[in-house]
Amino acid sequence: MNWDIIIFGKTTLLDLLLVILILLLAVIIGKAITLNLRRALKDKVKKEHQRNLVRIIYLVIIVFALFLILPILGVDPSGLLVAAGFLGLVIGLASQSVIGNLVAGIFLVIERPMKVGDQVDVEGTMGYVEDVKIMSTIIRTYDGVFVRIPNEKVFTTNISNLVTHSARRLEYTVGIRYRDDAEKAVEIIKDLIDQHPITLKNPEPFIFVKELANSSVDITVRFWVPSPEWYPVKRELLWRIKKTLEENDIFVPFPQREVWFKNELESKITESSKSSKSKSK
Amino acid sequence: MYGYQDIPLKIEKEGISLFVGKEAENIHYRREYDGETIEKILLSNSDKILLNPVEPLHKPKEITPYLLIKFEKTIVIEPKAKKKIFLKFPIEIGVFIQGEQEFKVLDILTLVKQKLTLYGEVRGGIICKFWESEVFSKIPSMNQLREGVLELSISNTTSRWNEITQVVLNAYGMKLYYNENSVTLRASMKIYTGGIGEVEFFDSPIYKGMNKSLELYTARRIQVAATKFIMEWGL
Repeated sequence: MNWDIIIFGKTTLLDLLLVILILLLAVIIGKAITLNLRRALKDKVKKEHQRNLVRIIYLVIIVFALFLILPILGVDPSGLLVAAGFLGLVIGLASQSVIGNLVAGIFLVIERPMKVGDQVDVEGTMGYVEDVKIMSTIIRTYDGVFVRIPNEKVFTTNISNLVTHSARRLEYTVGIRYRDDAEKAVEIIKDLIDQHPITLKNPEPFIFVKELANSSVDITVRFWVPSPEWYPVKRELLWRIKKTLEENDIFVPFPQREVWFKNELESKITESSKSSKSKSK
Repeated sequence: MYGYQDIPLKIEKEGISLFVGKEAENIHYRREYDGETIEKILLSNSDKILLNPVEPLHKPKEITPYLLIKFEKTIVIEPKAKKKIFLKFPIEIGVFIQGEQEFKVLDILTLVKQKLTLYGEVRGGIICKFWESEVFSKIPSMNQLREGVLELSISNTTSRWNEITQVVLNAYGMKLYYNENSVTLRASMKIYTGGIGEVEFFDSPIYKGMNKSLELYTARRIQVAATKFIMEWGL
């Protein structure tokens, strides 16, 4: 068979076959990559975002194949490349943050520092992750506010995921009066934590006198809870500790300071009160 | 107390006050225990209530499907040995009403103390319901409203002595059986090299003629959920 038969312009039959082969290869490679990508992102990204990402990647592969095909068909792609380069530069500059967010979104999907439903703290914004989109991350704060954070910001900032690990340690400092029995207070708190059904048996709670402070003997209370339950337990136990200590005549003191006067204050008060009395007369 | 009960029903036992009665066309359900009151109106023509033990993992709330039983005394098992021990495990009581085609759980209560623990490390470990039990060589007596008996067949497949201090059970495979006096569960624990244990349940009672419980986890089990548990954080 004569492969050098010219079909049109300078394009031969061989060129045409090569073009078809490249296109076929591009389609096969594109399909293979997108299929694997779909599998990899199956449980990580919502279907809608997954579809968009896969389409973009597929399109990039096809466009790349087209640039390979053009010289074979006798079209000089250099002009197109310059134009595309210039266009890319303009678009790139104009949409710097958009592309930044997109890239950050892809990295967030790969790194997965959080998933939908997690409780997180992103630079002071605390709440539940509602969605990790390609361009932004949506957080529902504890007071029900919708917060959209651009992915570029999420990616470059500190993310505290409050529920990634199975368990979380909570800590209180409970101050009691100097005249109260600190050992008894420690026992009461230990018992309260042990009786609470959600606090963990292991790792063990740790309760100890931490500091002899200005106004109080400070007891540190450390215990572990299942991560998703940290807030209700923290809220509930602190109040229960306060109430139970008070039932046992152990109180949290007000800040207090003993003041010693160099001179006898009482006599001066008496003198001044005398003079004020005489004046009033 | 366990089994099918006719409506109207009134039970006063171990501090539980349970009443199920007809009110016109409907059924009124009321249960009191430990300061908690549950009341429901059932729009049903059913005249039976089913009470049976269920997996002890619903109270105080469903946090984990795993139950960790800590042994009061450590067990040491010789190489290649197969031994059987008995443990007690906590019980939760499920109250069901039977509809045309399926059962509906009305209420779950428990008379035993609730506690959670962490099996493994903070990173990667799992939260389990905690229970501590004596280790028995014979079937112990029990209060079937509070505890059941777990028959655990331990098989040391390694060529080394192994110490066992605990067992972790997965609720998605528990097969509970009950009669007038007992609640039972049978499981096996295979010990492999590296201190790894594999825990699996048997779908059979300890005593003949026991009734099979209507389990809640088994009923909602999806195909992919594993029923075995691999203890990789220590025995």
